[in-house]
Amino acid sequence: MIRWNAELSRRLACGDDEKRALGPLIRRFIELSRKARREGFASLEADEEPGIDDPLFKVGIKLVGEGISGDGLEEILTTYLLVSDEKGWPFLKSCVIVDGLVSLADGDEPALIVRKLVSYYGADRALNALQELEGSAP
Amino acid sequence: MISGLTRVDWNSWKLGQVSRQKKDALFDLACRLALLCSESRTKGQSTVVSRAADSERRKSLRFGFELLENGSDEESLEQGFEEECRAEGLEGGDLLEYTMVLAGLKSLERGEHPFIALRRMTAFLGTEYFDKAGSWMKDYLKRRKADKPMTFLVPGDFPDVVRTLALDGHSLERVLRAGGRGLASAALAGCPQESVELAKPVFGPLGGAVLEDDAQYLRRHLSGDEISQAQSALLELITNLEEGGELELTEEEELYGEPDFVDELTRAVMSLEERDLKPALKNYDPRLLAMAMQGMQPEAHERILGMLPKKDERRVLNAVDSMILLPRREIEAAARTLAERIIGSLRKTQGGDSPQIPQFARIRDWPTVDQTG
Repeated sequence: MIRWNAELSRRLACGDDEKRALGPLIRRFIELSRKARREGFASLEADEEPGIDDPLFKVGIKLVGEGISGDGLEEILTTYLLVSDEKGWPFLKSCVIVDGLVSLADGDEPALIVRKLVSYYGADRALNALQELEGSAP
Repeated sequence: MISGLTRVDWNSWKLGQVSRQKKDALFDLACRLALLCSESRTKGQSTVVSRAADSERRKSLRFGFELLENGSDEESLEQGFEEECRAEGLEGGDLLEYTMVLAGLKSLERGEHPFIALRRMTAFLGTEYFDKAGSWMKDYLKRRKADKPMTFLVPGDFPDVVRTLALDGHSLERVLRAGGRGLASAALAGCPQESVELAKPVFGPLGGAVLEDDAQYLRRHLSGDEISQAQSALLELITNLEEGGELELTEEEELYGEPDFVDELTRAVMSLEERDLKPALKNYDPRLLAMAMQGMQPEAHERILGMLPKKDERRVLNAVDSMILLPRREIEAAARTLAERIIGSLRKTQGGDSPQIPQFARIRDWPTVDQTG
């Protein structure tokens, strides 16, 4: 069942320019997923250049390292989102981080991670974003 | 889309600014609840809750304990708290407290590990409390009296597979993470402590402690069949990962010393008189000796241990007990080092003519795993 929450949609609303900034964030999650498969999750915590300077991301990576995954991880990270009182671009970015971390912890393939995260561009832009991200993937 | 967010009633979620002082007080409350979660896993939920309810002064907790004492499950706890928050018109710090307490009590009701309960509760205080919670957990591990792990072995190959996977740390991590820590704990509940020790590092010091405690907890709460099912599920996952080319298992044989090498080393040790062996073993690293002994037959163990002073014998035995089964490469490397030491000692006591020197030289020069392929 598709759930709809009008207030959530209002909170996620932001401009096209801001949505374009999701590209580097999603690309970073693809790199992190490949690195975790190659070198293990401890390598993500030790990464000196995580490329995502965000407290929620740092906390999430540590939780994943501790072995929290699936619904438990999603619930904890969602709680952080709930109490942050963010709106607009910061909130959208945090939602992408939460979804990206949960995917990473679940061991999703990079291709699946991209497909999950491009949904944050909105239906009208998701397909273009997907083609762009897959076209530029190394 | 994150499903939890779509269920939030944003209109009633009015937190506003909560003071640092209130958050600090809530952090202490969360730690107190985490300790109750821990106690509840050993003494039983009803005993712990009814005792805590008698002395509790905090309204939010008293309310929650009352619901639990009346047999509330997770869903009715949630409903009870929602109604209470609405009836009282709670906002800000009070709303935060009730919501956090509800999260802690749900953990307690599920029998979750205290660390998971604390992570859930402190998330309500924001990311700035994450490291503080981590420090509390580290202190908790230092302070607690560790029970001697109870062993419950379920027949099957799973412990051997864990050993094989552990030869390449990433393979073990890949499997345990793909299965999830919950399934891993259930499977490890039917394994010797050695398997748990091999798996713990995958999740770091805090996650490793949760894995070990959960395996211990599940040993008392799952049936042998349920543990077997968890092990089968992980074994099936391993097969799938192997078939998908995501996992390559090292051969099991590589965990043990090569039989010819073990025979040669055993013969060499047994050929030594007490006057030859004793000086060589004097002040020798007990861990290195224990590693080399994994490449010898039991009679050589007895010969070596019998020549050590009681104190050193205990140290070597402790090292043997704490040691996981080593790969062939490491056993042979330790045996080569021991052979070199014995050769040096024989040269000193008997000169270069000792008939045992060529025997130990063969051990020292034994081709490595890489050389033999």
